Amino acid sequence: MQSPVKIWRNQKKIQSLIGITGKIISWTIVRVPPGGFGDQAPYPVAVIALKNGEKITAQVVDFDEKHLIFGQEVVTVVRRVTQPNTEGIIPYGIKVKPL
Amino acid sequence: MNIYVTGAATTKFGELWGVSPRTLARQAAFGALKDASVEAERVEALFVGNMLSGMLGGQEHLGAFFAEELGLSIPAFKIEGACASGGLAVHNAAFSVLSGQYETVLVLGIEKMTDHKPEDVATALMGAGSEEERSAGATFPGLYALLARVYMKEYGTTQEQLAAVAVKNHYHASLNPNAQFCNPITVEQVMKSSKIADPLKLLDCSPISDGAAAIVISKKKKGNSVQIMASAVATDTLGLAQRKSMTELKATQEAAKKAYEQAKISPRDVHLAEVHDCFTIAEILAMEDLGFYKKGSAAGAVGKKNHLVINPSGGLKGCGHPVGATGVKQIAELVEQLRGNAGARQVKGAKIGLAQNVGGSGATAVVHILCKVR
Repeated sequence: MQSPVKIWRNQKKIQSLIGITGKIISWTIVRVPPGGFGDQAPYPVAVIALKNGEKITAQVVDFDEKHLIFGQEVVTVVRRVTQPNTEGIIPYGIKVKPL
Repeated sequence: MNIYVTGAATTKFGELWGVSPRTLARQAAFGALKDASVEAERVEALFVGNMLSGMLGGQEHLGAFFAEELGLSIPAFKIEGACASGGLAVHNAAFSVLSGQYETVLVLGIEKMTDHKPEDVATALMGAGSEEERSAGATFPGLYALLARVYMKEYGTTQEQLAAVAVKNHYHASLNPNAQFCNPITVEQVMKSSKIADPLKLLDCSPISDGAAAIVISKKKKGNSVQIMASAVATDTLGLAQRKSMTELKATQEAAKKAYEQAKISPRDVHLAEVHDCFTIAEILAMEDLGFYKKGSAAGAVGKKNHLVINPSGGLKGCGHPVGATGVKQIAELVEQLRGNAGARQVKGAKIGLAQNVGGSGATAVVHILCKVR
């Protein structure tokens, strides 16, 4: 589903979202992942209220269990999203890590 | 509205590896036509509610596909709105008859999911979410878990209270011969089931299912017809993070408001409701967003004697959730209940029934209100 053209087009959007801080307003732990995410599961997915006023859904990385709480401060980072597809392109996207 | 459901039928829901989509469609469609005592040649248009035929089965163009299967060459449409596809098909069919251009139309809701690997189904279902949610590796249980987490914090709801929804719906399903599950379960079993997306566990989640349902909508009523009092749709942002509140589904509230206005009734007048309990938290949200309970109070009412019965069919949790079929099955259940033909699960004295069908994590909501013909 991830066309190289689409991944290329999304680069600008990803760049504009790096390094923004925010707070966790909800989280879950995905234990039964969709295709392409099998090597990462189980992993937390959170809704984050960013300082810029936007809210996003993103995976939480580089975390300890103690970080999965309401109000935890996080910052947006770039990470690999899924396993590379058959075209060999590695899709990157926005995740968050605790501060 | 002066339009009527004159016939309805539902196939068995479940893991039907030996049954093809064509067979499911014939069973449901001809079942509904027979129930309505209408010859197939009288049907002027076909509305098919389906979500995943393209992504999972590689088959699109379902209007012509199922028209051919039913031996009809009439206007035919596939209507897609994620898990609300069935409800949207009913809405479109109802409005086509209201327009005066058609007298009798057929609605078919159908989905074939269990032929495919669970991770492929999970990926395909995420087509209903936003690109951002897909990149986050979210799943539908995950999205509803995000809602559950906030709701439970806000109102002090416990996991056991959520589990009570699944227990009640399995009990109802045990009385429904077409349901996927016929086994009653306990709160303890729900609590001990494997974690899917915390705080939701396996038995908080509706299953992956195959099944079909069909109804005939007509301008003219017959002896056992049920009247469509209201048919309303509302939408919200595709992604749930972009919404103002995570403790309510605004699309449900708006569709319900419009539907109550069309029907000129209040929530207190409803005797039974088929609501979209794709996850236990979703039934709690629906009970409140439809106006049956005050925000934060629905969980305490589950499984107790109430002024209305919710999900007598067993809901998505107990009856099964072939996504495109669900919204049509809800209407078929209301028809059976309002006719007084629902057997062991009959809601006594049911005169007004409501159906709420949700797409995605709340981006589409469809509300129908039906009543017994006086």
